[in-house]
Amino acid sequence: MQSRNSKNIPASWKLLDLAERLLVTIWPARLNKYVGWGFLLPALLLVGILLIGLGYIIEYSFHELDLATYRLKAEYSLTNYHTFINRPVYLHILGRTMLASIIVTIITLILAFPYAYMLVRTRSAMMRKFLLIALFLPFFIGQVVRAYGWLIILGKQGFVNSILTSIGLPELDLIYNFQAIVFGLIQYMLPFAILLIIPAITSISEDFELASEGLGANWVSTFRHVVLPMAKPGLVGSFVVVFTLTMTDFAMPEILGGGTSDFIANAIYDSFFQISNPGLGAALSVLLVAIGSIIVTAIFYFAGTGTLGIRQKTR
Amino acid sequence: MDQMVEIVDVSKSFDKVRAVKSANLSLQRGDFLTIVGPSGCGKTTLLRMIAGFDAPDTGKIRINGREVENTPAHKRSIGMVFQKLALFPHMSAAENIAYPLKMRRFQFDTIPDLVEKYLHLVKLDGLGKRYPHELSGGQQQRVAIARALSFSPDLLLLDEPLSALDRKLRNEMQLEFRRIQQELGVTTINVTHDQREALIMSDQIVVMNEGIIQQAGTPVDMYRNPENMFVANFIGVTSMLKGVVCGSGKNSVSVKIGDATVTARANGEEIAIDAAVDCAIRAEQIRIMDIDSNVGDDFDNAVDGIIKQRIFEGDRVLYAVQADELGGAMLHLFDHDPNSHNEYPINQRVKLGWNSRDLFAFPAETVK
Repeated sequence: MQSRNSKNIPASWKLLDLAERLLVTIWPARLNKYVGWGFLLPALLLVGILLIGLGYIIEYSFHELDLATYRLKAEYSLTNYHTFINRPVYLHILGRTMLASIIVTIITLILAFPYAYMLVRTRSAMMRKFLLIALFLPFFIGQVVRAYGWLIILGKQGFVNSILTSIGLPELDLIYNFQAIVFGLIQYMLPFAILLIIPAITSISEDFELASEGLGANWVSTFRHVVLPMAKPGLVGSFVVVFTLTMTDFAMPEILGGGTSDFIANAIYDSFFQISNPGLGAALSVLLVAIGSIIVTAIFYFAGTGTLGIRQKTR
Repeated sequence: MDQMVEIVDVSKSFDKVRAVKSANLSLQRGDFLTIVGPSGCGKTTLLRMIAGFDAPDTGKIRINGREVENTPAHKRSIGMVFQKLALFPHMSAAENIAYPLKMRRFQFDTIPDLVEKYLHLVKLDGLGKRYPHELSGGQQQRVAIARALSFSPDLLLLDEPLSALDRKLRNEMQLEFRRIQQELGVTTINVTHDQREALIMSDQIVVMNEGIIQQAGTPVDMYRNPENMFVANFIGVTSMLKGVVCGSGKNSVSVKIGDATVTARANGEEIAIDAAVDCAIRAEQIRIMDIDSNVGDDFDNAVDGIIKQRIFEGDRVLYAVQADELGGAMLHLFDHDPNSHNEYPINQRVKLGWNSRDLFAFPAETVK
């Protein structure tokens, strides 16, 4: 046995010992049960500040704009909400936003599922690498840059139209309309959806598919009765993410819609910064948050708490 | 008797590794065959080819008289129980059992009765509404086998479904699987690495190693007449002794092991004088005795040795004894009935006796 000679202990160990002693003095062991809360604190603070902001917005939404002073009146009223209901343009914008969210979400999920499935199941390492790179590349390009990229490709004198005219076909209006926004949004949301579906498919062992096949199901039935139901948590998760991101999107309708097909977020922006009516903007924001929360809650309620990996009964 | 399964010269490679090398086997209707071998011996690959999940590179597979190479898995009449069972977690036990019936377009109104029948067969009456995670390990096994059988397949395949169970439950389920198999008379191929399971459950055993079928036969045959060292070694606890042939015949050879010359059994082929041989003897065929015992007529071979290891297993004691006469070879043997006996301590000198018919001689490196 060697005697404990402090000379043999590396300096980094001594440093760690010191740190440990320091930690014990400022954080006695009996406080250890609060460690979890300690780590949660920054997140709670962040959410708390957001809630304060939300409180202010709700407060604003109940004050009418005084057109004489361009400030919010001191007394409470529902004028802003009446404006929303009485002006068809706002209901129209809400309807458009909801429609786009549903279309974008459904098409994105339909495109994302085979991609994720292929990525998980392929036996070729080359293929998997290619799919992974193609998946992560778009993340390095921001939404605004991407939207401008589409302008360059789809614009009046853009890439697509120059090809069309060169082969004698008429020019097409490919941007500044609803379809362009939907197209841009799908392209933007696809990687998110794929990333959320991948773990769901990974968790389905290939044995389940083989078992189904062996029991007499062709691949269509296997997909319908085994893969799809077992991937439900991932699908619901990505549905919620894509839907809420689309519903609250600003850049795509702004750039690819060019003001022709505003979403709620654009209307909120305009209220705050174009017509300088923070009360109306706040009311629209409150409605957006409320509708989004109701939809997400409803989805989780009907799809069960098994989604997102949160299970009441663990096994 | 008609053949339910015939496998002719089937080979399969994965990335230049030959998983199965020209395998041949046939199985009669109603028989229970176990393919046994260490992991990576190709047994699961062979099973997957029969199921239709992999296609053989060469060779023919006939099931119930039909060649199936071009038949996809879902069109074959085969029920399979997977190692991890693969019970559909979003379906109840009854729905799992009904799944193949629905997929195979059974008459809709017959399905509930069939489900009840198979729940009863596996003794799960009344548990049909439970989901897999609400069932115990043994109950899940039962659902898996009921699901594999409910559509009356030609063939049942078991891919080591019992390997994850604890020993007691495994023994229980082995007998249960065998009972169900015999009750229905369904032709079954079981894959396992557990030689004991192979002996207990099967009508026929196939031993595989490194992609090659080493021997096929009944459990008794496999135990009593191993054809090579691998089979002798794989089934039971076996001691191996290296020696040189000094006198040869068709059915028995004289082998010089260390300083001693012993008689051993050959399996029909004459081995040349001076050829190297591996001799094998099972632990239960060697008797341990006091050093001064008279061997008498019970055994025709006897050596002295020193106990090097002693393992108490409850119903028996496993000894490892070093025999100097046999060039220091280590012999493993069981002593049953430890109560009425001396329990020999380590380093005690003892006498070992056996009969030459229990010592097998194989030409060295006969492992195919």
